[in-house]
Amino acid sequence: MSALLELRGLGISFGGMRAVDDLSLSIEEGHIAALIGPNGAGKTTVFNMITGVCRPNDGQILWQGQDITGAPPHRIASLGIRRTFQTIRLFPDMSVFENVRAGCHLRAHQRWWQGLLGSPAQRREDAMLAERTHELLRRLDLDGVADEPAVSLPYGLQRRVEMARALVAQPKLVILDEPAAGLNDAESAELSQTIFAIRDSGVTVLLVEHDMNVVMNVTDHIVVINFGRKIAEGDAAAVRDDPAVIEAYLGRDDEEPAP
Amino acid sequence: MSEPVEKQSVPSVWRIRTLSGPLLWAVGLAIPAVFDSSWVSIAAIFAIYAVSALSEDVILGRGGMFDMGHAVYFGIGAYVTAILNSSFGLPIFATLPAAVLLSAAAGALLAGPLMRLRGDYLLVATIGFNSIFVLAMQNDPGGMTGGSDGITGIGFPSLFGLPLASQSAMFWLDWVVLGIVLLLMRNLDRCEFGRAQRYLKQDELAATTLGVDARKVKTQAFALGAGLAGLAGTLFAVQLSTVSPASFVFTESVTLFAVVIVGGPGSIPGVLLGTALMFVVPQIFRDFAQYRYFVFGIAMIAVMVLRPQGLWPQRRRRA
Repeated sequence: MSALLELRGLGISFGGMRAVDDLSLSIEEGHIAALIGPNGAGKTTVFNMITGVCRPNDGQILWQGQDITGAPPHRIASLGIRRTFQTIRLFPDMSVFENVRAGCHLRAHQRWWQGLLGSPAQRREDAMLAERTHELLRRLDLDGVADEPAVSLPYGLQRRVEMARALVAQPKLVILDEPAAGLNDAESAELSQTIFAIRDSGVTVLLVEHDMNVVMNVTDHIVVINFGRKIAEGDAAAVRDDPAVIEAYLGRDDEEPAP
Repeated sequence: MSEPVEKQSVPSVWRIRTLSGPLLWAVGLAIPAVFDSSWVSIAAIFAIYAVSALSEDVILGRGGMFDMGHAVYFGIGAYVTAILNSSFGLPIFATLPAAVLLSAAAGALLAGPLMRLRGDYLLVATIGFNSIFVLAMQNDPGGMTGGSDGITGIGFPSLFGLPLASQSAMFWLDWVVLGIVLLLMRNLDRCEFGRAQRYLKQDELAATTLGVDARKVKTQAFALGAGLAGLAGTLFAVQLSTVSPASFVFTESVTLFAVVIVGGPGSIPGVLLGTALMFVVPQIFRDFAQYRYFVFGIAMIAVMVLRPQGLWPQRRRRA
């Protein structure tokens, strides 16, 4: 089985700081994978490199075997990769509907002059994409707030709107950056169900998450990084008992005096 | 901080809103029948500058790119028509496509280096382009632009052998072009290209990760805005039957910029209102024309302080 996404020896420095170093991992199609690690471990930086927001100094990013290292974000998006942001980035002056509709941008094939002339083909396409957007809003139980300004919603709902925007074009891989941040217990339990539903609809999921309940419940494969390096990898049970992981999260409990 | 969403917009109100624009335009067609020739020429000037301001809005209001050299594209259109008509004897309508395409090409070309710049840096660079353009026209390259005096004796347009020489005929031409441009702008609001502009303006990073090609959309916006400005430039050359560098100096760009900001960026009625305030009111109060920039300066400050979204802001729309 070939990997959907593969990172080979990925590394990046900011100034003198090595944010990510020699990171290799691969994500299988149809899996739910997680990238975890303590604060500042470099998780979001890895996402930024995958989605073309920043360019790695070393290593390669392979998408279905094809090298996509350093491609600009819109090219990465056109491959069927979508993401959410740790700090939610919804379009502030737009409704929930318009925000989610934005996710359909690459499904619109109208030329700019067709749009300016208001051609029938362009109108048909817009109607079709609006229907697609409404369908997803219903599926994610957001249809009741479709016309509300997106940024006026409570935090948890805003996260869901951003997720809807990432999913509406039916991507191959969706990258969720801390989807449980700021959610209460009930909401994060619901989130687990949502992530399963996303996977079952044929979308591979990669997430960064601090909420260990969510991570342990949903993931097929976990990669743990600390200080930009991979320290463990495996399924939930294996990672949970790995001494290096426990040390990274809790610190060493039997500090030995220097000889 | 967010604007309340209009919920109780009953269908009849909605219909009045969508119909009032075309209705006003149709009523405008009767201006030559009701008013004397000086008013007709003021209305013609309004139509020309409205097209020019709407074209600036494509770049500044909708694109969020601080273009303070828009008079360049307006000027290219005017000069292309003037040169092709007076030196080469081409009919006005034959010069029009060349004026639009050359302006659009200039916009697309300048968009390249401008794209890398943000906000205030872009603004300064566009001022630079404006200065270069005016200097170039003054220096009469190849003996084509007539130096500081410009080009005079531009002919009338004629349609199917019928000369549109009268003040009224030229007004109707300008008014029809304005109507077409308004239709284009309305469509721009509703199509994917217009939406992509809004995504980029509100959050460029989020937009690009959704697949918006920022470079392409911005270049297209510059080309479209510049092309429409070139169209206005052709009308301007015909209306005055003369072009000179003084009509395309930096302060003209500032005025176009102010029209959009004061009227309401991205708002069609806002830009039209701004055009009326900036270009028509001074024509009416000719005696006070020297106070124009004084009054506008104060008006701009007042609007920015009291109503930063513009006099007639863009309204939230659903799709």
